[in-house]
Amino acid sequence: MTFDCKDLERALAVPELMADAREHAKVCDACRRELWLWGEISAVAPGLRDEWETPDLWPKIRQTLAAEQKAAKPHGWRGRLGGRFGWPVVAGMAAAMAIAASVLVVIYTRPAPAPAGSQDSDFLTEQTLQEVEKSEAAYRASIDKLVHLAQPKLSNSDNPAAVAAREKLLVLDSEIENVRSVVNRNRFNAQLQAELAVLYRDKQDTLKEILQRAQ
Amino acid sequence: MPLAMAAGRLTSRSDADLIQASKRGDLSAFEEIYAAHAGRMKSIAFHLLADRADAEDAVQEAFLKIYRAAGAFPFDSGLAPWIYRILLNCCYDTGRKRARQAETPLASEPPAIPSNVPLQVAIRHALARIHPQYRMVFWLFEVEGFRHSEVAAILEIPEGTSRKWLFEAKRELKRLLTESRA
Repeated sequence: MTFDCKDLERALAVPELMADAREHAKVCDACRRELWLWGEISAVAPGLRDEWETPDLWPKIRQTLAAEQKAAKPHGWRGRLGGRFGWPVVAGMAAAMAIAASVLVVIYTRPAPAPAGSQDSDFLTEQTLQEVEKSEAAYRASIDKLVHLAQPKLSNSDNPAAVAAREKLLVLDSEIENVRSVVNRNRFNAQLQAELAVLYRDKQDTLKEILQRAQ
Repeated sequence: MPLAMAAGRLTSRSDADLIQASKRGDLSAFEEIYAAHAGRMKSIAFHLLADRADAEDAVQEAFLKIYRAAGAFPFDSGLAPWIYRILLNCCYDTGRKRARQAETPLASEPPAIPSNVPLQVAIRHALARIHPQYRMVFWLFEVEGFRHSEVAAILEIPEGTSRKWLFEAKRELKRLLTESRA
């Protein structure tokens, strides 16, 4: 190939053409300067990094987090929720939780063959647990679809509502993760399953709001 | 502190272990995450906000959010992209707050690139004149040393876009620098 000055730009984008570009630069001052500059931009760039000491920064972060931990500890999961959402929201969630719990009660009080020795009404039967887990999987799949739809609206937006929604979803995901890890160790506990259902519902509502706002 | 940790590349425990321990309230594990990433986070925040105090505020806010949201850490995508995404959001929030509080409107046109200055100084000026998306990819890749896969994950763009934007950034910088030195 006969390399010309006008080919230089393309050569910078296509590594296979660089050998030809270098050959050409041996006899062309303008292209030699351009090639040199191209390399120098990358060579000099790491020196643009700004570094400075901040001995107070970690202690400040640690102090804030330690104070939050201390405030949350005595109240268990209720304290954690209160710290993150505020009590009016927690009260709303508690009310919603009560509704969800009653739905679960309706589900698992339907006639179903109970596992041997399990008559305690605080716990799900094997069959109702399967139904709850099936519903949860369907719920999660529907939420995943919403996440997929809402993601572009969330990640590309800097408006305060989107930022607030992003943060709320982060906190909800964190809570869902926490409650799910407890549920996984205690799958028959109806109250925990209801708690998880409320968090999923909250996440679903948040995602729906985002999509409605975007329309 | 091990050198690798200070360089922000490796930690003595895996990222997943550290974030799991942080989630359980282990602040010493979280301090390891801080030690590994705070330097680069401050540099990126300063690049975006051009003010050390604002950059430190954004980094502090980012670490508080990372800790509080440790339970939501996406184990499949790695720690770095997740925490740097949170940092960028904190920087944008800080920038917006600052813009609202500014008594006079911020200058919209960056100053001209001075001639006869060291190349590093000229590049710093030229960077202010290129498209913000190209600038961000250039900064993360060339200045902070992230790989294209990491840049793509942080900015939530395809890896090919990261490569293309880097090329466009360098092409624009080359053009501006050539013009200023002509």
